[in-house]
Parts: sequence; structure tokens; C-alpha cells
Amino acid sequence: MRHGLRLRLRDLGAGAAFASMGVSGQLPVWTLALYGLALLCALMGRRLFGRRAKLTALLLLVVAVVLGMNVLAGSLNLVVAACAFAGLISAHRLLSTPEPATDGQVHLSGLLMVAGGAALTGELTYGVCLVAFGVLSSMSLALGVVEAAVPEGEPVPVRQVMRPLATGLTFAVAGAVAFFILFPRLNWNMMGPRAAPGLGAATTGFSNTVRLGGAGTIKGNPRIVLRATLDPAPDKENLDAYWVGRTYDIFDGQEWTNVGGARGTGDWMVTLRPGSEGLIHQRVELLPAYGASTLVALETPSRLGNAASHTQTGSRRARIQELGGGEVRFLDPGIAFSYEAYSLPPGGSGDSFQKLPANEQDALLTLPENIDPRVAQTAARVLNGEREPLAAAQKLAAWLQRENSYTLELGGDVEDPLADFLFERKAGHCEHFATALTLMLRTQGFRARLATGFFGGERVNDVYIVRAGDAHAWTHVLVPGRGFVTVDATPPAHRASQASEFLQDLLGFYESLEERWRSAVVDYSFRDQLDVARALVRPPKGSDEDESPSRLPPLRAWATALVAGAVTYGVWRRLARFLGRERPHDATRFVDAVEAQLASARLERHEGETLEELDARLAREHHPLSPALSPITRRYLEARFGGRPLRQGESAELLATLKRAIAADARRAAAEERAPRARRAS
Amino acid sequence: MTPRRRKQWWARVRAWLRPPRTLKVTRIGRTYLVVTFGVGLGALNTGNNLLYLLLGLLLSMVVVSGVLSERCLQDVSVRRVGADAAFAAEPFAFRWAIAKKRGHGFALTLGEADSPLTGEGGVGYLPMGVDHVVRANLTAPRRGPVLLTGVRVTTTWPLGLFAKSRVFSLEGTLLVYPRRGYACQDPGEAERGPVGDAGNPRRNDGTGDVSGLRELMQGEDARRIHWRKSASAGKLLRVEREREERRTWVLAVVAGLEGDALERRCEEVAALAHRLIEEGHEVGLDTADGRVRPAAGTAQERRVLRALAWLGHEGPHEDEEAA
Repeated sequence: MRHGLRLRLRDLGAGAAFASMGVSGQLPVWTLALYGLALLCALMGRRLFGRRAKLTALLLLVVAVVLGMNVLAGSLNLVVAACAFAGLISAHRLLSTPEPATDGQVHLSGLLMVAGGAALTGELTYGVCLVAFGVLSSMSLALGVVEAAVPEGEPVPVRQVMRPLATGLTFAVAGAVAFFILFPRLNWNMMGPRAAPGLGAATTGFSNTVRLGGAGTIKGNPRIVLRATLDPAPDKENLDAYWVGRTYDIFDGQEWTNVGGARGTGDWMVTLRPGSEGLIHQRVELLPAYGASTLVALETPSRLGNAASHTQTGSRRARIQELGGGEVRFLDPGIAFSYEAYSLPPGGSGDSFQKLPANEQDALLTLPENIDPRVAQTAARVLNGEREPLAAAQKLAAWLQRENSYTLELGGDVEDPLADFLFERKAGHCEHFATALTLMLRTQGFRARLATGFFGGERVNDVYIVRAGDAHAWTHVLVPGRGFVTVDATPPAHRASQASEFLQDLLGFYESLEERWRSAVVDYSFRDQLDVARALVRPPKGSDEDESPSRLPPLRAWATALVAGAVTYGVWRRLARFLGRERPHDATRFVDAVEAQLASARLERHEGETLEELDARLAREHHPLSPALSPITRRYLEARFGGRPLRQGESAELLATLKRAIAADARRAAAEERAPRARRAS
Repeated sequence: MTPRRRKQWWARVRAWLRPPRTLKVTRIGRTYLVVTFGVGLGALNTGNNLLYLLLGLLLSMVVVSGVLSERCLQDVSVRRVGADAAFAAEPFAFRWAIAKKRGHGFALTLGEADSPLTGEGGVGYLPMGVDHVVRANLTAPRRGPVLLTGVRVTTTWPLGLFAKSRVFSLEGTLLVYPRRGYACQDPGEAERGPVGDAGNPRRNDGTGDVSGLRELMQGEDARRIHWRKSASAGKLLRVEREREERRTWVLAVVAGLEGDALERRCEEVAALAHRLIEEGHEVGLDTADGRVRPAAGTAQERRVLRALAWLGHEGPHEDEEAA
């Protein structure tokens, strides 16, 4: 079919435009389903609304009412509703009979959808959809234009069309990038949408309790939940650090809880403990996949604040509140969050036991009522009289790693999960290891608590990322003089994410692209424009002094040389054209001069009258100039067409003759004008 | 520099600054520009960088569209191949030859600029250096010479947002014959007496092709006997030949007719001439402008039509077939 390819490109372009909105994850699911169905039918060539275009348009009215009611009920954002409606208009047009008008409507609704996508999401996938829409729709439009001009029955030259179109599209994309970089931003608060729920529900989170016996499926989830920039930046690809969210101190045999309550009503900044030398500054982003409002920071956090919550409608400054267990939470809801945190360097929290609240002091030694006595006996046997808390904890951690294996496959709830882990199954995940270590320490009189958060940190560009699979639990043991010190009983190989390596690499690559997209496009601002301009005017010098200087000239020298070369070539081309032009004939120059003199004599000339015609006319009219003009005309014709060029000085001589004749004629005319006046006076 | 040379120089500068192109925004182009404007406003108001990116892409497409369409119209040469016969108020085939010296052309539409002729022809793809003949069905509203000043080449390449046109100055005249129709009136009496067999009292004794054999009747010309067939049949058979009848009419358009009356008379005379010439008669024409001597055949019909086309118009009668 002649239109087949063009229509498929058109439909795919519209699909890409809808996908640019769909990737935001904000559109109602039923609109996604409807559009997907419509696109599928259109691609299969089934235009279901072809015969009942007006009747089926009523469906759009129904959809508009439904969306409007959702907006009024507050369950749907107005922008999202508008975008969904644009998508459904596009779906209706996809299913209508293909006509030039319908094609135009599909393309323009696609354009609207892409604009809507820009308002809904800032993801890299939006950029991909935008380019896909641009390419597919342009190809479809170009084929449509050529099809319209090709006579019926003749083939459409698809291959010939693609090449110049591809060149044009390349230039268009380059132009778009240049416009993007150079067009002055008039607003300093440049910021695209920072948050969209994305596809898929959040899989991590912090609850008020930690219950043993749950499945450990989260360890296999590679989704990125946290992104952090550290200062000073550690020169490590894998950070392998503990990112603490909160701690627990009461275990009832099944689950961990906390005795502390909320402190304060919320503030812009929370100080958990006093700082010290060498604080590590972190700029943290909690992504939509995180799914909780607990702030996470490198162990051990000192101060958190300067927080912002990002919603679909924008970003705003957020207040935070300290809760029990050292947890800090956002008070304002949001899809994603960003904040700054300062953490103490590794080595201990520096907390003093005496400064802890009384209930927390007591809780650090609390044991469940029905704890299996074998736990204490085993701990005592392993420690063998060791009384130094950190050494004892390390001994027990080593024993646990030696005697128990790591597994994510658990049988569900049991009556005593700790005893089951230590003496029956002898296998468990990080929460079992951490619980076992904490309680074994407590049975021997060492104060300890359970901490949860993440373990890991993988560098992508200059940012460290943490995945959902990095969720982890470990033990804090109280060491006099150092405060709480981290001891991890989980075997080192199983502390970080257990997701498929391929998936992790894939997500890592995507994250790398996403990071560049965010920094170069979404967060591009007037400040960046100034940097670009500054770099062009005065390129920054390399920071490494020992780096051997390049022998090649700098980039700007190449650019200048290129521009200078282009200008020189242009000048040379124009000059060559000017010098190589056809020189006017001597006779032509002569006749130009004659005509100039005749013009000064104010002779009446007819439209388009040549010199020889003028001469003939003047001769017929016995004009006084005719005797002077006739030889000049004859000489001109001889010189121009008769092969007898003008001699040196001949043209000047002839022109002088004509000038004299014109002057004499002017005098005569003046005398004739005076004579009647004199007669009238007499 | 003389004033004339200064004028020429200035005309050249103006031509360089403003190449002779006309740009028309198409329907989809208008909506595209409105959406672009909206996206621009949105970008400026919200500061959303993605909208800036989209705006950049939309504006770049406009620029690229202009450049590609200009490349399409550059280095193009057009000449008229013409039409076989153009009758008023009915489509007639018209042809142009178009070639491109450098690069390729896409989606080119050709039409006559500033003329009452309606209709256009198109070429989807014009390769470099190929003389491509473009056919179009044009329609002229009325009889007479149509002054052609130039050929308009239009392209909506690449996206159909803008229609860019270039007019190639190409003077000529297309002679449009009177509208074809049926002759309601009788041509009247023939100009002269019978020619050929028309006056023969034996109506079926023509001199044309053989139409059959029949028995020779009493008193019939013995020269008509087909001796071989008669010998084989054992009786006298004669050859019957088709009768030929050719008469001469001189059709007249009386002087003093104007406007619709003249048009109607021209159409009627053209229809009569066509019918009579088709029947094999000789037809001449007598008008206020001159006389066409009677003759038969399609060439004569063309002469009559041409004379009728020029009737009431002034101008050269010889080189009108430029188109």
C-alpha cells in the first residue's frame, strides 16, 4: 500500500509523543491502556472510527467529563488531565480514516503531547521520546509531502527522500542544541520538573518496626533510590559505606521497635550530635523509587537540613523533624526529596552513654522475655571472657559469619526467629545476623542496638548511587569513649545488592546517561551559560601542572582558523566573481557617457528608445542636436558591431563635440526665451 | 557611476537580498507556528529547560525547512512543452519540461503564474540533470489567446509547513479554442453543387470502398460486373461500392457580434465545423477578421478553430503556438 509506511511512521511518532508523557508515570492507567490499544489497532491498519468519526467523537466528550470530574475531586492534577486528554484525542485521530487533515491533527496532537511531557517529567527517557517523535513525524510529513506531488500510480521515492531529510534533521537537532545553549535564560530559577513517580511502585522504605521472618526479595532489586555527591569526594569506585536511616533498641522476640518519640515540631535543620573536624558533606537526592520520607546519611550523621521536597507541581523548601532512634523525617509530602547532610568521619558516633535519654539507656540492654537461654550460653562460650565491647562484638560477628550462612529464601514466620536462625536453620539474611549479634552482645552485658539503612555506594560520573538492593541492617555497639561503633555480622559478600550483575550494569549505564542529561539539560541555567561564554572567551587552564602540554593548538585556535578560512574563501569567491565578470565594451562605456550627456540636455526620450532610434527621430524633427549626434551614433554602431574600435582619445573628442552642441542649443533656447519677453515689453 | 548603472547595481543588490520567492504558510504550518509560539511562551514563563529544548527543535525545523526548500528551487530550469489543443472550459493536457542542474528536487508543483489557467502538475522527485516532463490538466475559462508570463514552481518540501514558490519568467501565448459542444443549428445549404458521387441518381453506385456484390439488374452499367465472381456463380454479379459525398460549406460569423453572443456563435461554428469535417466535407470560414478557404481534414479544423479563437482579439496570429 502506498501510504502504509507513511502512516506507520506517523502512528509510531504519535506513540513516541505519548510515551514522553507516559514515562512520567502520572497519567491514569486507563488512559495508558486506551492509547496502547488504539496504537496497536492503528499499526495493524484497523481504523475502527473511520466510518463513525463524529459519533465516536462523543467518546472524547465522555472522557473529558471523567477527567474533569477527577480534577474537581482533586484526584488528578489539571496539567495531567490536559495531557491525558491530548493523548486520547490523538488516539481518536489514529483510529480515524487517514486523510491530510487527520494526518495534520495527529502530528499536532503529538506536538502538544511532547510539550505536555516536558511539563510532566525531566527524565532522560523524555529526551529519547522527543528525538523519536521528531524523527518519525518528520519522516512521515516528508513522505506525505512527496506523495502528494507524485502522480497517481507512480512509486514514491522513499529512499531518495530519506537522505536529504536525515541531513536536515541532523542540522535541526544541532540547531536545537545551539539554541538551547545560547538562548539567554531570563529567569535565574531555572529548574525543570525534578520529580515524577516514574514507572513502577517504590520498593524500599522505613517502617516503625523491623520484623524478622520477612522475605528478602528487596536484595535483588537494582532500582536506584539514592543519589549523593560527597565533599571531600572519596577516590573510590565502590564506597562500601553504611548509610543509616534509623536505629531500633527494643526487640520483643519477633520485631524491633523504638522507645524514643518525636522531638520538636519540625525545623529547617536538625542537629543530631555535635560536629567535629573532617565532617563529610553530602548533597543527597532521594528518588521516587525510595518510597519513604526518612532522611538517610553516611554513618554517623551530625546535621541534616536545607531540604526540599519535589512534587509534580514543583519543588519547595521542606521542614524536617527528629524522631526516636535517630530518625529524621520530612514533614512535607513529596515524590522525591533533596537535602544536605554532614556526617562524622568513620570511627564512632562520639555519643556519651550518660547523655542518652534514660529510657534509651535502659533499652540498650533489654532482652525479650522468652529469649532462648542457648543464646546467652553460646555468646558466653564464643566470647570466652572477652570484656572489651568492640572486640567482643567482632568475635561474635566472626562466629556468626562462620557458623551461619546467608540466604534470602526463608520459610515465613516462626515462633522464635532468633533461635531458628542460630540453632535450627542456621541461615538468614542481614536482619537475622544483626539481630543475633545485638542480642548476643546484650546477653553478655554489652550495650548494642540495631541500625537499618543501606550499605554500598557506586560511583557514576561524580555521583554515588545506592540501589534498593543495598538495603541493609547492622549492629551498633556502644564503646566507652567512642560512642556507637558499627559492627556488621553479615558476611561481606552479601551486604550490598544481590541483583543481577547485567541488570546493575544496565541501570548503571542508564544512570550515567541520566546524570549527564540532568546536569546538561534539565538543570542548565543562566549560570551555565555564563560558564560556557567564559570558557569560550578564556578557556580554563588544566589543573594538573605536571600534565605535559599538548603540542596541538587549543580548540579556539582551530575554531578561529576555521572561521578565518571560511571568511577568506568567501571573500576570494566574491573577488574572483567580480574580477572574472564580463567587462563592458568600450563602445558601451562610450554610449553610456553619450546618454548621460543627453540626459543632462533634458531631451525627451521615449520609453525604451535606443540611441539610433533617438538619432533617427531627431533627424526627422530637424533638431539642432541632430548634426552632432548623427556621427556619434554612427561611430558607436561601427565600434560596437562593425569591428572598428574607437581610437585613443576619439571618444573624448566626440563627447566634447556633443557637449559643445548641447551648450549651444541651451544658449539658443535661452535667447529664444528672452526674445519674446523683450518683444512683449516693447 | 551613472544613474542608470547605479539603478542596475541597486536592483542587483535588492535581488540578492530578496530572491524572487514567495512564501505561504500552509494550514498545518499555521497551527505549527501557533504551537511554537505557545511553547515559547511556556518556556519563558516556567523556565522549564525541556520546553526550551523543544522550542529550539521547533524553530530549527522552521529554519531547516526554509533551507531545504530553497535548495529545492535553486538551479532549476523550466520550459514549456505546450498543449496539443486547448478548448475553453474543459481540462486539457499541458506539459512543462523541468530540469535541475545541481542537487535533487522534491515535491515540486508547476503551474502558470498570473494567468487564468487553473490546475497544476507535480513531480515528486526530480533527479539531478534529468529533463523531466510534467503533465497537468489545465482549464481555461474562456476562448482566446491567454498571455503566459511565467511558470510558477512551488514546493512544500520538506515538512509541508510552508509553500515556497519561484516564478520563472517565460513569456508565451496559449490559444484557447472555443468551448466544445453540440451544434443546434443546421449548417444551411452547401456552398457549391455536388462533388463526387453526391449527384449520382443511382445512390448506391459510389466510388468508395467495396461494400458487397449483387446480381446485375436490367439497365445497369456493365462496367460494374465482377467477372470472376460472375463466372464462379454462373450469373452476372456486380460490385457495389460505398457512395462518397463531399460538399462544401462556408460557415460565417457575422460582424458586429460581441460578448456572449459572439462566444455562442463561435462555439456553434466550431461544433458545426467539427461535425462537417468529421463527415468528410470541406469547410471554410468567413469572419469580419478574414476568410479561411474551404478545405477538408483535421488541419483545416485546426485552422478554423484558430481563426475562431482569435476572433475579437488583437495580436499576432502566427507565433501564438509558443505554448
